[in-house]
Amino acid sequence: MQRRMTLWAWLGIAVAVVWTLLPIYWFLKMSLLTPDEIARFPPPLVPLDPTPAAYFNIFGFDYQVTPELVRRASGQAGQIINGLINSLIVSIVVTAITMLVVVPLAYVFARLDFRFKQALLITILLSVALPPVSTLIPFYALYVQLGLAGTRFGLIVVTLTITIPFVTWMLIGYLRNLPPVERLARVDGYTRLETLVFIVIPLARSGIAVAAVIAFLFAWNEYTYALVLVNGTPANTLATALSGFLFQHPEPSHLAAALVVSILPPVLVAYFLQRHIAEMNLVDPIR
Amino acid sequence: MAGIRLDHLKKSFGAFTAVQDLDLDVTDGEFLVLLGPSGCGKTTTLNCIAGLETPSAGRILFDGRDVTSDPPHSRNIAMVFQSALLYPHMTAAANIEASLRRSDLAPEERRRRIDDAVSMLEIGDLLDKLPSEMSGGQRQRVATAKAIVRQPTAFLLDEPLSALDAALRMTLRAEIVNLQKRLGSTTVFVTHDQVEAMTMGDRIAVMNGGRLEQIGTPSEIYERPRSLFVAGFVGSPPMNLIRGEVADGVFAAGELRVPLAAAPGPVTLGVRPQHLHVRAEGGLPCAIFALERLGRETVLIVEDRARNRLRLLVEAEFEGRVGDPLDVAPDPARCLLFDDASGLIHAPAN
Repeated sequence: MQRRMTLWAWLGIAVAVVWTLLPIYWFLKMSLLTPDEIARFPPPLVPLDPTPAAYFNIFGFDYQVTPELVRRASGQAGQIINGLINSLIVSIVVTAITMLVVVPLAYVFARLDFRFKQALLITILLSVALPPVSTLIPFYALYVQLGLAGTRFGLIVVTLTITIPFVTWMLIGYLRNLPPVERLARVDGYTRLETLVFIVIPLARSGIAVAAVIAFLFAWNEYTYALVLVNGTPANTLATALSGFLFQHPEPSHLAAALVVSILPPVLVAYFLQRHIAEMNLVDPIR
Repeated sequence: MAGIRLDHLKKSFGAFTAVQDLDLDVTDGEFLVLLGPSGCGKTTTLNCIAGLETPSAGRILFDGRDVTSDPPHSRNIAMVFQSALLYPHMTAAANIEASLRRSDLAPEERRRRIDDAVSMLEIGDLLDKLPSEMSGGQRQRVATAKAIVRQPTAFLLDEPLSALDAALRMTLRAEIVNLQKRLGSTTVFVTHDQVEAMTMGDRIAVMNGGRLEQIGTPSEIYERPRSLFVAGFVGSPPMNLIRGEVADGVFAAGELRVPLAAAPGPVTLGVRPQHLHVRAEGGLPCAIFALERLGRETVLIVEDRARNRLRLLVEAEFEGRVGDPLDVAPDPARCLLFDDASGLIHAPAN
């Protein structure tokens, strides 16, 4: 029985790994291929003669393959660099503001009792249930009137409407499970604010770190609003800039290289997240 | 140190009244146990004394000074919470120091108090550990050290031993009492465990449904429980309670007859298991239902013909098997009589 369980577990893990990593491997490989190799059928499973040319090209540099062969810089280099900068700014600002708002908000909902708490909580959580598409047109109309369409500020504000409710929802559950340290803190003479800052936040750092990462990933991957509100403007993000490739001068290795670049921050962040998720599960916050 | 006085204390949560009109005096240096089942209001009472809850009505006085609306830290109390709660992300040393953060002690005095507490509780090797790295007993010692460094007016303990295993609970019970007597500090200890209450308290206040049922020394509570609730709650194995009627100086319930000089009427007879004896004949005919051998003695559970169960304490060597018939009879000189409304109405003269 024990053996069979292990076998099934391994099989499950293998399927999940292949399912997850195959597409990533595929465009990682594609980014290192030459245009000829990409055009070949059947496509090569491993890059026989890997070249980093595409990575130089998408950032606007020519790449000397051989003395007589130069692979030219991508015409979209400007858009990619601009998109990368915008995405980083938007994601970092969104994460910072989200956490500033969410930590006290989630704390209040998780640990304090007050009038209309349930109704207010449901109001916040209901907005998680709204599909972005349903608010897209109203937001667009509003933004055009306010002159916020095509601005990073506008995109930050609209992204916050997604991250704040979602991350609050996530963090409430985590904070609820903390031990009742508030009573101890009151006997020791901590004020409510001091309790939050000196006791609860350090105690909940794993949960808060994971929440921040989730907020960052939401902001980084946000596509629907960016497509409508900032695509084609100087405030364009990397996600929407990349989608532009599909309709322009076909250079698949550039698209693949840009995709690799676009998943790098989430990968780094997820690496960081994984350590804390493990901590969140393994260390019982009660003890 | 100080005496604590609760004056008509009342605490409600919405429509629910947790504590009703409670008057209680804890004298200076006394170890008072608040005993009762869960939901009886004992923890709420303790939280009111600590200042963690604001009473809906009534006053709390420390040595005659009204502290009803003072916040916890200015009442100079120390509290040990359920399962010896500590800040999980702080070392033992940081946890203990947090107790003194609002005091204006000189650094050397601070140091001295912490050192004293650490040596008194022998926790020197735990100071750099996190609560998650300590055993239940070690956490309990650190929580106690955290409480005593403040040299508080009163110690308030909220079921601090409830999460520990039986052997450790027994050890710590004695340690806490020993420490309390050495420091001579006024202490209020909340528990639902009547053995803890009997063994630790100078006095016990039994609470039920937000009211004080009885307050007295452990032997007063045990020997002369003032109500049916106290009679059934205190004592292990529990007191036998038999409903019946008194007529012509005899208590009668089913086939049981006990001569008792009491006013006629419906009553409940209470008799401790050690005062119910096996007779060759002439008692209440019963059959053995179960035998619980405790080593030093045996708890005999018998069932009469009406299927009422009674508990007897018999000697360890008692021979018998489930189903064996025997007669039991209470010692009339040790029987208590209770009236449903007015509580204890007849008790043996001491």
